[in-house]
Amino acid sequence: MFGKKKMSLILAGVLSLSLLAGCGNSGKAATTTGEAKDTKAGAAAGTTEISLYTGGSLNVKELWETLIKDFEAKNDRIKVKLVYLPAGTGGASTLDRLIAAKKSGQTDVDIDLYEGSLDDITRGAGEQLWDTMDAKKVPNLTNVDETYLKQVNNQAIPYRASSVVLAYNSAKVATPPKTADELYTWIRQHPGKFAYNDPSTGGSGSSFVNTVIYNFLPPEAMNSNDPANMKKWDQGFSLLKELGPSMYQKGVYPKKNQGTLDILASGEVDMIPAWSDMALEQLAKGLLPDTIKLTQIDPAFTGGPSYLMVPSLSSKKEATQEFLNYVLTPEAQKVVINKMYGYPGIKWSLMPSELQEKFNSVSSGYRSFNSGELQQEIYKRWQSEVAGG
Amino acid sequence: MSSSSKRGMVGLALVIPSFLILLVVVIIPILYAVKESLIDQHGTGYGLANYIRLFTEPAMRRNIIYTINITLVSTALTLVISYALAIYLRFGKGVVVKWIGRLYFIPMFVPGVIATYAIITMYGNHGWAARLLLPLGIETIPRIIYDYKGLVLANLWFNIPFATMLLSSALASIPNAVVESARDAGASTMQLFGRFILPLSYKTMWVAVTFIFMGIMGSFTAPFLIGANSPQVLGVAMQQVFSSYQETHTASAMAVFMFLLCSFMGYFYIRTMVKDADAG
Repeated sequence: MFGKKKMSLILAGVLSLSLLAGCGNSGKAATTTGEAKDTKAGAAAGTTEISLYTGGSLNVKELWETLIKDFEAKNDRIKVKLVYLPAGTGGASTLDRLIAAKKSGQTDVDIDLYEGSLDDITRGAGEQLWDTMDAKKVPNLTNVDETYLKQVNNQAIPYRASSVVLAYNSAKVATPPKTADELYTWIRQHPGKFAYNDPSTGGSGSSFVNTVIYNFLPPEAMNSNDPANMKKWDQGFSLLKELGPSMYQKGVYPKKNQGTLDILASGEVDMIPAWSDMALEQLAKGLLPDTIKLTQIDPAFTGGPSYLMVPSLSSKKEATQEFLNYVLTPEAQKVVINKMYGYPGIKWSLMPSELQEKFNSVSSGYRSFNSGELQQEIYKRWQSEVAGG
Repeated sequence: MSSSSKRGMVGLALVIPSFLILLVVVIIPILYAVKESLIDQHGTGYGLANYIRLFTEPAMRRNIIYTINITLVSTALTLVISYALAIYLRFGKGVVVKWIGRLYFIPMFVPGVIATYAIITMYGNHGWAARLLLPLGIETIPRIIYDYKGLVLANLWFNIPFATMLLSSALASIPNAVVESARDAGASTMQLFGRFILPLSYKTMWVAVTFIFMGIMGSFTAPFLIGANSPQVLGVAMQQVFSSYQETHTASAMAVFMFLLCSFMGYFYIRTMVKDADAG
């Protein structure tokens, strides 16, 4: 009896395995034929197809769709395939794939262009993953501010940017604070009228927290992951704790960047830190009332660019460079501003003057913040001392 | 081969696929989570450090107490309200009963995120409730959103329809004859409930309690959007520990702890069912 039982177990096991294997095979076969068709079609028309891997929110996808359409309309030899991985669904695995390809000695990958953060550049740089950008091959690189390129050793192009700014209701606040200290005074004088979101759930809240803490530290600390800096956080945290009772509902920190924008729109608070691109887009779409104005304080909140990198393993560099060259034209950068409400990746002076004027309130700059794993320590300490205190 | 062993083999073969699925999607992940939870956050050694942290860190302890509190209170309230509603629907008569009977399960079809935003716009500081009460001279309503009260409210909103539906079907199977003869024999309403209705729907009540309890224990969307920053329910705290602090091992320990809380409930549920099967 036992033998039979075992037998049937094995049988069933084999059966289910073969079923699984069957699924795997047919799936693979389908993709192979799909790819084969693509190449054939490409060869027939004499075009090169490059693939661009990107992530982030939906607006990033929409931006690329517009840029690619415009580019392909002008250039019939190059096609751009957009591989969009929505935030949190595996953008990191693209980088892992590249690193794995490099480590296993592959000579070719199908990722020709990768959009990522400063963190990705650093991670990839250790593996010599990225190509050095060259103005001889991408002439419009001269449009980009050199200091931003030097920051990343010419391994990436900061093609657009945004920063955290102060959004306020001009109907209630006649003169917005100009400095960080003025802002803290304003918060104390107007209890319940300021809110920032839970820093671990969105960048605008974490920018507020980071600036409060790092304004007490020397400027170079903002881009250092030296754990010794943790000992110097006390002043910042005690200020955050002291401000707590003056915050929205005596210390309620809504979740996500949108959480604070919602209560600003409904009039529950009069001032919040917000991402410039999110706020501008919602102003344009009428989701925020037009009494909401944006301004930057001094020292500024943090912000940063989004970068484009060319993997050194890509085999279609010429076509990729041509596309990059297009992305850095004032014309394409206008799309970045109009569609995403981001800051252009190229110098402001190259942009049309009416756009320069429109962005005057927020384009005064930002500070970059990159402290690696210390950021998580800030979140943890904030949760236990400020939220739970 | 005897026909009985043949049938046994067929039976086994039929059970094995579902067992394999259970093994792959439930049992192995649980064992994996248990193993992960035993790995020390800083090193590679095994130990109970994550569990010790769970029960000694004041913030985490507050989270646990808060979660258990909110789960028990919400479950009890849901049960009382759904029972009352189900009985009203079963024995009440008239147009109102008919309409409530048609409408009460609508919340089950509303996605959690949308319902949560509806609760925010309704009960928020400047929400509809506040605006509707303004003409009556009531200027401030108590803080509901970002508070304990809001979470209980959301839990009730999500769970009452489901519990009422379960209990209604149990009550529908109680024959009118039982109720009427008890009435004729002079039973009071309380006696009727205690001696007949409760025992006859007792089993379903346990099913409802188990599902409500587990649902609330593991809830995330509503607590994330309308809960307070501290203390937080375990689902939200776990997400924070996992993706913001990237302490996966501690998050695993929290998951295992939540699983134990739920299996405690499951134990009572199964015990009741088995008892019932023995008796019947």
